[in-house]
Amino acid sequence: MISCTEFIWVYAELFRFLENRGGDDLLIKFWEGIRENFLGNLRDYVEQDGLAGMHRYWSHTLGEEGGRHTMSLYDDMFVIDMHQCPSANLVFQSGRIRPYEKYCRHCLWLYPPLLNELGYEATFTIIDAETGQCRLTVKKPEAL
Amino acid sequence: MPNVHKDFHGALSYGLQFVHDNCGEEAAHEFLAGLAETVYQPLVEDMRRRGLAALRDHWQRVFDLEGGEIELAGSGDSLELRVIQCPAIAHMREHNYAIADRFCEHCRIVNGAICGAAGFDAGVEYDQKAGRCVQRFWKAAE
Repeated sequence: MISCTEFIWVYAELFRFLENRGGDDLLIKFWEGIRENFLGNLRDYVEQDGLAGMHRYWSHTLGEEGGRHTMSLYDDMFVIDMHQCPSANLVFQSGRIRPYEKYCRHCLWLYPPLLNELGYEATFTIIDAETGQCRLTVKKPEAL
Repeated sequence: MPNVHKDFHGALSYGLQFVHDNCGEEAAHEFLAGLAETVYQPLVEDMRRRGLAALRDHWQRVFDLEGGEIELAGSGDSLELRVIQCPAIAHMREHNYAIADRFCEHCRIVNGAICGAAGFDAGVEYDQKAGRCVQRFWKAAE
């Protein structure tokens, strides 16, 4: 069994394999597939509780994954400031695999499109992949 | 201690199905077997040094972390891992994640590649629906 504790390295190797096989098109198709087929619980949380649902979702996932981050929940905005991403740390700092430079892009294809589709204005900024720093900002339009 | 986020089993399952559907069975095999040279290289090296004791320690650690129900048995030249409840299958079923058609094949392929690189052989008999399997490992013939 591939353990969930080994998954991030396998995930990065899968990205590299897909890129080598089919370029960015196949890689992005995979990320879009993950978004559409595997993030149903995030979609449910957001549809039920809006920004608070996002906070609940990432409190659970980031709580289990570890790392260092802050989450800010306002009436009209939700922000994750990732100071040290646990996944990026494994990919870029552990030495277990050859670092995969595009690793952090998967978050760009997973989260903002889903949140935008639900009516929010989401932006994701990779600040520094190697040190695992990024920011997700989600704004709630007045209409919601 | 590593962080245990079991939803990753579902993401892996989706990834295995995606590779199979978009690249074919041979590619899926190539991807999984290649992990012995990357992700599992430390385990391969440990098995070359310590033999099946290294693999036994690996499985004990993995299933302790994941909370799986297993039995380990064997002597110096052979090892049997009996998985009574696979934590990956159990978690995916509990959370209604789609389970790849040939999910359990990944154990056969990854085990085979790791063992092949370390001078051992491996076999597995599984019941994917039940989430049970028996994995066997032994010294390869000279």
